[in-house]
Amino acid sequence: MAEGTVKAQRSGPVRPWLAGLRPRGRGWRVVLSVVLVAVLWEVSTRTVFTNPLIIVPLSRVAEKTATLATSGTLWRDIYTSLSEFALGFAIAVLVGVTVGTLMAVSDAVHDFLTLWVSALYATPTVAVAPIFIIWFGIGWESKIAVAALLAVFPIIINTEAGIRACDRHWLEVARSFQASGFQTFRMVLVPASLPFIIAGLRLAVGRALVGVVVAEFFGARSGLGLLILSSSQVFDTAALFMAVIILAGFGAVMVSLLGTLERKLAPWRAHGHD
Amino acid sequence: MTEPILAVEQVTKRFTRNGKTTEVLDQVSFTVGRGEFVALVGPSGCGKTTLLRIIAGLVSPSSGVVRVNGRIVFGPGPDRAMVFQQDSLFPWRTVLQNVRFGLEVRGVSRRQADEACLRLLERVGLKGFAGYYPHEISGGMRQRVNLARALAVDPEILLMDEPFAALDAQTRELMQMELLRIWSDARKTVIFVTHQIDEACYLADRVLVMASRPGRIVEDIPIRIPRPRPLQVKRTGEFGRYVDHIWSLLEKEVRQAALTLRAED
Repeated sequence: MAEGTVKAQRSGPVRPWLAGLRPRGRGWRVVLSVVLVAVLWEVSTRTVFTNPLIIVPLSRVAEKTATLATSGTLWRDIYTSLSEFALGFAIAVLVGVTVGTLMAVSDAVHDFLTLWVSALYATPTVAVAPIFIIWFGIGWESKIAVAALLAVFPIIINTEAGIRACDRHWLEVARSFQASGFQTFRMVLVPASLPFIIAGLRLAVGRALVGVVVAEFFGARSGLGLLILSSSQVFDTAALFMAVIILAGFGAVMVSLLGTLERKLAPWRAHGHD
Repeated sequence: MTEPILAVEQVTKRFTRNGKTTEVLDQVSFTVGRGEFVALVGPSGCGKTTLLRIIAGLVSPSSGVVRVNGRIVFGPGPDRAMVFQQDSLFPWRTVLQNVRFGLEVRGVSRRQADEACLRLLERVGLKGFAGYYPHEISGGMRQRVNLARALAVDPEILLMDEPFAALDAQTRELMQMELLRIWSDARKTVIFVTHQIDEACYLADRVLVMASRPGRIVEDIPIRIPRPRPLQVKRTGEFGRYVDHIWSLLEKEVRQAALTLRAED
């Protein structure tokens, strides 16, 4: 599947200057789309959907954000959720890349783990959140555990796929130049599988955020998930939308950072799809 | 001839698949002198690529030995470098970084390696393309990079595995001419595998014609066309006679293969 994309790009004309301009030249559309949605939201909530229980104007969300930001609780919630996300995500990356690599290089490890990995990836593992709260308490530990558990599987799967997809020719080139096992790993296997691993990380970002928020639903002292839960209980629609927008914005920033990383590390693949 | 740089002695290779053993190479022997350009030509399935990979040390023979400068080959070594078929460049490395690969493996310092590789790029006609990625350059240019990558480690023997097979006819002719120019500068020994008879005759001092089932050398033909060889030699009667002769050898072989297949069915 990826082979096809690479070949198709190769037959294209040599215009590196255009490739360099493309992301900048198209950024205005993204901005425009955000502005359009914001305007549509504001106008429709002032004219058609006026019930504040269902949805409130964006300007009200902004006011609410200002209030909560000055009172200080918003910063604590953001800090809690994002640090839980960061730790859970980091654990998922460490474990995921290690296990994925082991599964790719050892058939025995693969055979033992493959069923579990695909089963746990496909099932809504977030359902274990309540039991994790019981095991780890309502502090940050349970949130990290749920986030890591959700995020680890796409990373495992993509790391394994990336290393297994490493072209036989490239390994043979390394061997013919008498590269050692470690040199082959560092100079061929790692760069060859990086685009796959980064694609796994992009999937993992969303799953880790879901993990943190849902785990906070089931018991927490602070965090954006708790903020969503408590605002919905008191019908504070503005605060609820604020928390969701913050989460969405953070997710978008993470995914675009990973896109930049991919363009840096895998310039031959990042061309088409950004 | 002085002591051969390469000696292939009674090399046999068998592959067993699903309990059925195929003799890919049967007692192949030949020697190559220093600085010689030898082409291995034959129909697909005659084991020419396997033979090249055995010489490279990437595959070990079932019996027989390969000697380089009298020493038996047990694996890849610094005395040989392989120019692979299309698409063996690392797509995550720039042209310069690809050429540098072999030197990096050997632990040559970055500055020293870059200096040598930039000079090489100039020699293969890629001056100014050091910073490009393989997907940004043409197929012909990619094979120049491939050649430069092998030349960078300064091997005594260049092993070339159908390096121009995926190129269009015009680019291939151009690359053949360029290869001869580079070869006459660098004075390497070259073993060149191809299924193109005219390519073999144009490039080589000697053409080893191979036949399949089992893979073996049927004739060792010295090409006595003086060098340098402009592209026009391909249109001379002498050149045509070489090509015709080899083609007649292969035609017989192709018919035989077809008959063998039918007998097996």
